[in-house]
Amino acid sequence: MVIIAIVIGCIVGALIGLNAPIISYTYSGYLAIAIIAALDSVFGGITSVLKGNFDFKVFITGFFGNAILSILLTWLGVKLNVDIYLAAIVVFVGRMFTNLAIIRRYYIEKWTKKTVKEETKNENEKKTMGEG
Amino acid sequence: MKKGKITITITIGLTFLILTAVIFIQFKTINQTDITSLENMREDELRTEISNFKQKSEEISKQIEETNLKIAEYEETISTDKEASELLEKELEQQNNLLGKNDVKGSGVIITLTDTKEQKITAQDLRELLNQLKLAGAEAISINGQRIVYDSYLVDIGDTYISVNGEGIVSPYEVKAIGNPTYLESGLSKKQYGYIDTKLEEGKDVVLTRQDNITINKYNGDLNMEYAT
Repeated sequence: MVIIAIVIGCIVGALIGLNAPIISYTYSGYLAIAIIAALDSVFGGITSVLKGNFDFKVFITGFFGNAILSILLTWLGVKLNVDIYLAAIVVFVGRMFTNLAIIRRYYIEKWTKKTVKEETKNENEKKTMGEG
Repeated sequence: MKKGKITITITIGLTFLILTAVIFIQFKTINQTDITSLENMREDELRTEISNFKQKSEEISKQIEETNLKIAEYEETISTDKEASELLEKELEQQNNLLGKNDVKGSGVIITLTDTKEQKITAQDLRELLNQLKLAGAEAISINGQRIVYDSYLVDIGDTYISVNGEGIVSPYEVKAIGNPTYLESGLSKKQYGYIDTKLEEGKDVVLTRQDNITINKYNGDLNMEYAT
């Protein structure tokens, strides 16, 4: 159910995005940081789902809060003449890699367990056949 | 299904809708934006551009200065060239005068030789006269309007006429010579063995007159060389 909602949301969002007017190049930098923050939240959410401690409120606040905060920090960095957006990118992308690694390990473990189970099952079957 | 779960589902769907929409807007923006156009540049980029343009304009104004200097130099040389070309023109005129390509004027003598019943004037007589005139310093000579130039010739054609530069002439032969009139006259009219006396003795009719304003026409043939280079 949630996955269907996600797919529909993605399709409609893509259509809206393709038909929306382009924004000024000056602000596209802020938007890029917001996108990175949001993606980080998404991967974090997936990880927490897999771990079983997914909290909807945490996810939504993280999604919008991170995006808005990163925009504000970037803006502050521009005012202070410090490239704060670099720090934001490092943190968010680093966390994205960590989360992706966790997701990868989870599925690898799952797959390994499955194959091991099947093997033991097959062996058991062979044994029974041999005995029979 | 619980009511809370539906809300969560819709909210997550909306979240992803916003996310993808923003991502696609960003894609479009990056795709369609011409980074080099001025409106899309950031302030510091604009500053560097401005300083670049300033540098360029300085360089260009330097170049303009250099070019102006060069132009002034060229103008100078052009004016000197004008002098040179004037000099060359003068020289050319002189050379043309020497070659006989121009009409020339000046004081000199006119010698008229006429056939008599007893004696005919031959080309030899005229050649002698030319030699004598040249010896006396004649600068331009013509016979019956035919300018004598470096490749002129005088040949008898039978008994009928004399060929000068390929043109036939007949008596009376009027030889014009420009030069110092005194020298010319005295050179020709030396006593006893001077040209006039000699010819008069032979019974030929030779008359010499001094004239202050003689015009000698230019040579009207070709002066081109074909084999001598």
